[in-house]
Amino acid sequence: MQTDDLIAQLSAGLEPVRPGTVGRQVALGVCVGLALSIALMLTWLGLRYDFGDAIVSFGMWLKLSYAFALAALALWAMARLGRPGSDVRLPLLLLALPIGMIVLLSAIQMMAPGADRAALVMGHSSDVCAINILCCSLPLLAGGFWILRRMAPTNLGLAGTMAGLFAGAAGAVVYAFHCTEAAAPFILAWYTLGMGLSALTGAVLGPWLLRW
Amino acid sequence: MIAQEAQYRDWMVAALAGDATNYRMLLTALTRHLRSYFSRRLSDSGGVEDAVQETLIAIHTRRATYDPSLPFTAWVYGIARYKLIDEYRRAKRRATVSLDEAADLFCHDETEAAAARRDVSKLLAKLPASKRRLVEQIKLEGTSVAETAAEHGMSESAVKVNVHRAIRSLNQSVQPKSLPVDFASKGNGDADR
Repeated sequence: MQTDDLIAQLSAGLEPVRPGTVGRQVALGVCVGLALSIALMLTWLGLRYDFGDAIVSFGMWLKLSYAFALAALALWAMARLGRPGSDVRLPLLLLALPIGMIVLLSAIQMMAPGADRAALVMGHSSDVCAINILCCSLPLLAGGFWILRRMAPTNLGLAGTMAGLFAGAAGAVVYAFHCTEAAAPFILAWYTLGMGLSALTGAVLGPWLLRW
Repeated sequence: MIAQEAQYRDWMVAALAGDATNYRMLLTALTRHLRSYFSRRLSDSGGVEDAVQETLIAIHTRRATYDPSLPFTAWVYGIARYKLIDEYRRAKRRATVSLDEAADLFCHDETEAAAARRDVSKLLAKLPASKRRLVEQIKLEGTSVAETAAEHGMSESAVKVNVHRAIRSLNQSVQPKSLPVDFASKGNGDADR
């Protein structure tokens, strides 16, 4: 086909784009993914038995704020990666903040006099934590990819990685309502591993599933 | 391209609101930039037109991802660059062909084309440097008149006039005395005589 004909065709069938279309799609993908992830956690793992007490504890808020901060930053980076020509450096650099905070807190807890370091790192659920987080993140990973496929990512590997990190971190937020661990070194080791596995999944799938 | 940022952005904003006339002007203008962008980076001309069309379609289907608070040219460039990499990837896949096509290697003799290229560069060397650059850009590299004019700080008509005069002077310099031979169809010259 001649390029002029193509232009005529494209402009003849032009439909207006409602402002905020992309934003609504991002919200929809996140909400559906989150709802499925919560449903999965509640039916498969169940809410932690001491939820009433835990919700006011330091360990619970530590887990939640660490995972929530990473999820928010990764989602921000992902949304930028979906728009060609956007600068993605700021959200990527800011990822160092929550990680730095949890490293600092872990160091303080490990250095405390009389600390049982093995218990602080291994807790009682280290064998299932990362894999459970990965499972809770799967509906969110699907949501993230659904969003990116409606956008225009040009760096598929990085976009997939950020979708995976967002899913892993948001999945960790959901999983935190089941998990009874509270030590910073445990969260640093196993929560980060779970999110990392999800990010890796996204990095591998991105170049395959995000082509357009 | 950056010089037209404000104009293109206005057209795009109107297009997003559903204005087909502005959208058509925008796509037509972008096509010129895209064609020169791809032709400088892709070797075969069929690939260039494919890449231009692919990019136009991508701009169309992904237009919702343009955020009017961000530079429009950066957005288009991001898409064009992505499609360029795509085209490279496809070219690489095409590059693996079966051995049956080995005979193709000897079907075409490039000697004549190479000699013609040498003739052209010898001829061009006769032109003053400023005119030579204009001819090279317009006639050999496929840069648009508008772009060339902007680069040299001349008006478009001045560029056209200069190129036209340069070609005419070259034409005269290769013609045998007083024998009118069409420069463009040099190959048929023998038959005519």
